[in-house]
Amino acid sequence: MKRARNKAIAAVLVCLLIMLLLGGCWDNKDINHRSLPIVMGIAKRESQYLVVLQIPEPGLGATKIRLVEETGTTISEIVDRISKNMESQIDLLHLKVVLFEKGYAEEGVNDSVETFMRAHSLSPKTMTAICDEPINLFFRNIDSFNKNNGTILINFFEKNAGWNPHISADRVWELFRSIHSYTRDTVIPIVRSGTGTVIESNGSGVIRGGKLVERLTSDQTLLINMFNGISAKGKIEVMDHATVEILSSSIRRRGSIEDGHPVVKGRISLKVSLIETRGQPSQQQIKKEVEALLSDRFDAMLKKLKAHQADVLGAGQLFRTQYSRDQLERWRTDYFPSLNVDIKFDTVIQNTGKLKADA
Amino acid sequence: MRMIKELEARSETDSDLLFQHIRLAGQPTIFIAFRSLIDLPATLNDLYQRAAWVADQPERGSLGEEITEPEEEALLALLLGGQALLWHENGNRFASLTPIAKSLSRSIESPTTENVLRGSISAFVEDIDTNIGLIRKHEPSGSLHTRDFRLGSSGQKRVSFLYKEGVIDAKLKESITQRLVQNAERDAGDLQQLASLLGFPRWTLVTKFNTSELPQEAETALNEGKAVLLLERMPFAIILPSLMWDMFAVQNDRNFPAIFMMLIRFLRMLAVLTNIIIPGLYVALVSVNPDVLRIEMALTIAKSRVDVPYPSLVETLLLLFILELTLEASIRLPKSIGPTVTMVGGIILGQAVVSAKLVSNLLIIILAATSISSSVVVGFQNSFSIRLFKYLLLVLSAMYGVIGLVAGLVVICAYLASVTSFGIPYLELYKPGRKSNG
Repeated sequence: MKRARNKAIAAVLVCLLIMLLLGGCWDNKDINHRSLPIVMGIAKRESQYLVVLQIPEPGLGATKIRLVEETGTTISEIVDRISKNMESQIDLLHLKVVLFEKGYAEEGVNDSVETFMRAHSLSPKTMTAICDEPINLFFRNIDSFNKNNGTILINFFEKNAGWNPHISADRVWELFRSIHSYTRDTVIPIVRSGTGTVIESNGSGVIRGGKLVERLTSDQTLLINMFNGISAKGKIEVMDHATVEILSSSIRRRGSIEDGHPVVKGRISLKVSLIETRGQPSQQQIKKEVEALLSDRFDAMLKKLKAHQADVLGAGQLFRTQYSRDQLERWRTDYFPSLNVDIKFDTVIQNTGKLKADA
Repeated sequence: MRMIKELEARSETDSDLLFQHIRLAGQPTIFIAFRSLIDLPATLNDLYQRAAWVADQPERGSLGEEITEPEEEALLALLLGGQALLWHENGNRFASLTPIAKSLSRSIESPTTENVLRGSISAFVEDIDTNIGLIRKHEPSGSLHTRDFRLGSSGQKRVSFLYKEGVIDAKLKESITQRLVQNAERDAGDLQQLASLLGFPRWTLVTKFNTSELPQEAETALNEGKAVLLLERMPFAIILPSLMWDMFAVQNDRNFPAIFMMLIRFLRMLAVLTNIIIPGLYVALVSVNPDVLRIEMALTIAKSRVDVPYPSLVETLLLLFILELTLEASIRLPKSIGPTVTMVGGIILGQAVVSAKLVSNLLIIILAATSISSSVVVGFQNSFSIRLFKYLLLVLSAMYGVIGLVAGLVVICAYLASVTSFGIPYLELYKPGRKSNG
């Protein structure tokens, strides 16, 4: 009895000892000994990467922002080198935004995205964006605005802060998915430093196979967001006669093959509210105009996308069960250009807002 | 004659042993009793009256109970038990009688360790009969039974075992009775001794006794089919078995509307979780998994930790240590000095330790939350358990971060699930008329 008990106690002690010895907790660094970069800018100049990190430096009083620049052959090497030179360890897990310089994006960002996803050095939830001007210039410009804790760029993309349905939102994992998927490409926002505001949205870029191939305006971005079911709430549409605010949107779509050609039929239902009217347009008129305007925009955009064989609408997803894997592999080149999209816009004026329009 | 001499010799070492020569109905008699246990004037007064009454008509019997074969030990035991002896000189006869006892208990007061907002506020006292009386007042039912046991080497410690017939689990009743009978010669001066007497393991992290000062709680326990033990000179009822749910619920909650009762109980559960988790979570988030935090929060925490020399585990342990000292000190101190310690410990020390840059000010908030929540549970005996458990989580969090925290919670749950008393699991929701396990 006693021996068994002693044995049990010894076993527990050994377990505790092992836990202590193998815990590896001596490698843990407290949060104030880590640098938490929140924005990373990546550019490629003559086969050399240029990485800019925006690191908030918490201290007494206001948080200062530190910009660190380094060049090298791989991104992880650069981060390591920065980490070595800094007084604290760089922890990329808090990185919120990865900015690709336009030139690099056009060349293809596959390598970096692959590194990010495979090395787990940063969170797959990190937002991605394209920077429309030289990356170091961009950071220097926004730095002059950064009087608070350096979260401006994040808030720009946060759904509960500065995001708006005119801006596409794309994360690293989505970019990774688009690179490897047969049937889906992606759009990522294009930004540049602004004059009055810190950042200026400049539409979005169509990424096909990791390369920037085409640019879309913010109105077209809105349509893509609508098509992908991201509620376009809060959006204001300007026409000749009225401005409406989209309160909610929903989409139903179905893919089918007719005469060997893929066809997408769908219906986007919009609930809108009148914000501003010019003259005395009837509600019927406004509805018609909204629908016509959106259809036109959609067709124009689709044409553009077909030309670049970039399926950012994810229309190919609807055919995953209808084409064989070999056929799906050729989706972008063989089928998408002949895709027939028949989308009907259905508008309901849910309320006439603060204005009383004539029925 | 020899016996009375022996007893008289004893009065040299027991100064409160009284030998009073009196005449009862003309007979020379010696009245023997412990002066400290009886009310002498009242007793003698009563004795004279009864003696006169008996003397009038001898068929009315005698005074007290005749002791046929007096032995010193037996006589002494009677005296210690609060009885008085009469020695009639002619005939050399001993008789015992029940004197008017001195009241050596405080009167029934409000509880000192449990607060009652709504409900009966009289609490148990040291006198076991008063306590049984209080329970009987609350539960005037014929099925309430009390069984007395005499424990201890001298056989003088009285324990009353109360239960409600037909409601109590037969196995529970059987095992408690059996233990009390079997181990009658063992001492039960404190709850540790009682625990070993009842066969509870010595090394346990949760208390096996649920104690309450309130007759109302005892009544509820009895009606739920639990057993209540009353110990002589212990001003509380010991309720067996003690279960997890007792940490969150008191009968008094039922004096509030049902919704408030549920919310209050939910609050207590949250408090327990807060108390156990928060210090560990702080350490996990600050030193192992800061990536879980929102960036704004991470920066604020980093800012508050600038210039703090120690790793988060050390600073947390440091402050927790001081917190435990404060808690312990406020128990020891007289009520009039208690607030001073709280103020010095809480405000002055807390402020100074932050401005001295020994700990971050976020930790002060964490510690405040911890200390407050540790006292939310019902019954201070339960707060010891959760106070201890948080250290396990703290250490695991410091090593493995959030995963360690969750693993620690699993360990705690597993431990609690393993605890049983008299075959009743600690985590069981006890209901009257429950089905026995297995």
